[in-house]
Amino acid sequence: MHTIFTVIKKELIDTLRDRRTLISAIVLPIILIPLLFFGATKLTQNLIQKEQTKKIKITFFGAPENIPSYFKDENIELVNYFNLADAKVAIEQDSLDAIIEFAPDFQTKVNAMETGNINVSYKTTETALFKRISTKLEIYKAGILQDRIQTLNISPEAINPINIQQTDMASSKEQLGQVIGGMLPYLFIIMCFLGCLYPALDLITGEKEKGTIETLLTVPASRFHILLGKMLAIALVGLAAAVMILIGLLVSLRLFPDVPAEFLTAINSIVSVKFVMMLFGMLIPLSIFFAGLLTTMVIRAKSFKEAQSYASPASFVVILPAALAMLPGMELTWSTVWIPILNVALATKEIVAETIQMPHYLVVVLSLVLLSILSILISYKQFGKESNVLN
Amino acid sequence: MIEVSDVVKQYQLNKQQKKELQTTANSINAVNKVSFTCTPGKVFSLLGPNGAGKTTTLRMIATILKPSSGNIQVNGHSVANAPNDVRRSIGFLTGSTNLYDRLTPGEIVKYFADLYGMDATTFKQRKEVLFTRLGIHEFAKKRIGQMSTGMKQKVSIARSMIHNPSVVIFDEPTSGLDVITANSIIELIRQCKQEQKTVIFSSHIMSEVDLLSDELAIISKGNLIFNDTMQNFRQQAAGQSLTEAFINLVNAN
Repeated sequence: MHTIFTVIKKELIDTLRDRRTLISAIVLPIILIPLLFFGATKLTQNLIQKEQTKKIKITFFGAPENIPSYFKDENIELVNYFNLADAKVAIEQDSLDAIIEFAPDFQTKVNAMETGNINVSYKTTETALFKRISTKLEIYKAGILQDRIQTLNISPEAINPINIQQTDMASSKEQLGQVIGGMLPYLFIIMCFLGCLYPALDLITGEKEKGTIETLLTVPASRFHILLGKMLAIALVGLAAAVMILIGLLVSLRLFPDVPAEFLTAINSIVSVKFVMMLFGMLIPLSIFFAGLLTTMVIRAKSFKEAQSYASPASFVVILPAALAMLPGMELTWSTVWIPILNVALATKEIVAETIQMPHYLVVVLSLVLLSILSILISYKQFGKESNVLN
Repeated sequence: MIEVSDVVKQYQLNKQQKKELQTTANSINAVNKVSFTCTPGKVFSLLGPNGAGKTTTLRMIATILKPSSGNIQVNGHSVANAPNDVRRSIGFLTGSTNLYDRLTPGEIVKYFADLYGMDATTFKQRKEVLFTRLGIHEFAKKRIGQMSTGMKQKVSIARSMIHNPSVVIFDEPTSGLDVITANSIIELIRQCKQEQKTVIFSSHIMSEVDLLSDELAIISKGNLIFNDTMQNFRQQAAGQSLTEAFINLVNAN
């Protein structure tokens, strides 16, 4: 025990004095999420706003006289073209945005209580355009409908036989689980892995590359304990990175102005002692598993470069199952509880939604503990090989 | 006391290695049936050209590598059966060792003392003695990464001597060092001899060996080709310079 603590203490001091580790494991996750949150949402908001208030040019063909009055809007400019072909060319050249073309018999048909046709030509790449035009036309349509109801002397309900309402039975926690439940585990699983990556290279391969391992092997302390201490130090950095990204997420949700109030209350009630404990119940063995996995992979490497080429493919093994959990229909079942990483992601989703079943959770934790023990034993076996330890 | 008897270190060769070494043999003996004894209060030198098996031999004594066959006893403990007893009594220093760049001398020395399981009072006394003797106090708060090679070497010495080992193993301790820094190592070896420690050091520089040695072993291609006192080697050299005698001996085998 004494050796393990000595090694953990030394390795943590050593690692945390390294600016690269500090930035990638602690600073980045805590600022990354708020930045993404604020940056991305602000950006989309701005773009949408811009699209909606953008000045557009439209032209009519065969429009009834009263139509232009419906399009009185400071951001809409009505222009005239003598023939349709010219107008179409203008759209192609982007000097016109839309052509609203009324069928020749439009007015006759409308008057005869039939259906009149309107064709709107525009580029679908202008995303907000059609909605802006159709909103105006809907008002025109509503006016005609009103006239017809009066003429026919019927009640408005007569042409609206059914009214469909929906009631959302999902609790706000379940909604939250749907919204952030998928993203949350994805973020912290990847962050935990990345947090372990650099220290693993540094504490395992670095020791070999620098040649410090030789002297370390001449001390009377148990080699297993030395390795275990190193792996636990790696796991702690990974765990710290995962915790930092969770904190970053919580902080940004709270600072973010557009989060609905019921979401905030839901978040506050989710972040309970139970939630934190259940999350750590998975995160701790997960980070030890990552530390063991990475140690096993880099232990034979002679240099940082070589170690990186071994460890990079591993990130796919981690990202893929974490991303799978975001697919609709992916749920924690008796078969998915056994799939490492995917089970963590799915269980987190259910913990957030408070729909997790205890037996499922326990199996997830148990499988993670077994995996982490396995990874420790495999890397110890590798560590025992002379050819792996010495260059 | 170090007793090495009939020690062999065999490495299996894979296809590529066979090609590189242009051999059809499946294995190679990096150290081949080597025997010698180092006694307390004397400096034992292991001399040989590059790749002769010096480092492998010293690593086996230091329990970093396991001998394929043969036996090594350090202060009566076998490296195969009681490696931890051996480790407690040895100090190991190599010229190629680096230290942890982001730690200070104090932290490094403490780390090793903890791994040796030293108690706090003994550690404090021992650290004080070593830091004063080596003049580490003036840069004790500095991180290794900011130090000169000479300073680093002093810290390396303090680290390998912190538990006051009775047997010290130096693997090419002066390689890559300038004369001034190398001198601190030579001083250390003399000091160890005075303190009646068992000292073994490897080198490929005859002048250094001549300066320090009481006993000499010459190793070439894994085989021991000379093992006697330094005095006898000087006599055998008979008129040639010691370096010449060494070269002739290696070429003759």
